[in-house]
Amino acid sequence: MSVAPEVTLEVVRRELTVAADFANAAGLLVDAGELSGERPCFTVTFENRVGDEFHVEFDCHEYPLYPPTVEFVSGDRNERGTARLYPSGLHPMPCVCMRYNRKAYQERGGPHGDWRFVDWRLPTAQGAAIDTLAMMLSDLESKIRQSTGRMG
Amino acid sequence: MTQYEGTDTVNDRQHDTGGPPRVTLNVQTPRGLWSLTEPADAKLRPQYPISTKIGQVVSDARVVFGFVEDDSKYALLRAKETLEPERTLASYHLEDGVLLVLSVQGGNA
Repeated sequence: MSVAPEVTLEVVRRELTVAADFANAAGLLVDAGELSGERPCFTVTFENRVGDEFHVEFDCHEYPLYPPTVEFVSGDRNERGTARLYPSGLHPMPCVCMRYNRKAYQERGGPHGDWRFVDWRLPTAQGAAIDTLAMMLSDLESKIRQSTGRMG
Repeated sequence: MTQYEGTDTVNDRQHDTGGPPRVTLNVQTPRGLWSLTEPADAKLRPQYPISTKIGQVVSDARVVFGFVEDDSKYALLRAKETLEPERTLASYHLEDGVLLVLSVQGGNA
């Protein structure tokens, strides 16, 4: 099962409208300048409690059937997934260990063999279902805002 | 004391006579904006006596947008500042029309 690139692009664009409103109000920077059907990716810049910047890439291939791959990247996008790009307090893999992140699934090397991609909208334990791009931004904003340093 | 549609509205207005001044908020949530006009079908509107506690605003915003999960973490933000639920709107000197953010955090796996 797969999703046509033009369908993914349309859904991402639509959801980004709401997500951008939330991002603007919360002081997050959304860069969707290179968003396309072939590369349905955008990045968001967050700040932690002490003002350190964190850049997160959302790779939305086959969204919304499957969750995006959520990865911390460097400001110039040349480095990705290293501990020093992550805020403290997240899963030490390092990984955003939530159903909305494809990287958290065992099929992609993550810790969760008990999750299925198609169930990604289900609530993780102890919280609301994170089922839209705007909800993902809110969840990440909250977790990053509470951190005071980097993982590595 | 939120502005309700229906009979509560009348009671609230009667209470307002000579009561504390009110402030109108705009609250951006991950599910949309809460204001005097949005969402169109909202039963509550973000207009409060300034003696209202922040926690009441959070509760009302959750009702409007259906954030029913009690174990999620909710916070009301003004820019980067987290507003304490036990403090009043007046204590933050919030101006009419100020834009706040309802932050919703899911659980941890």
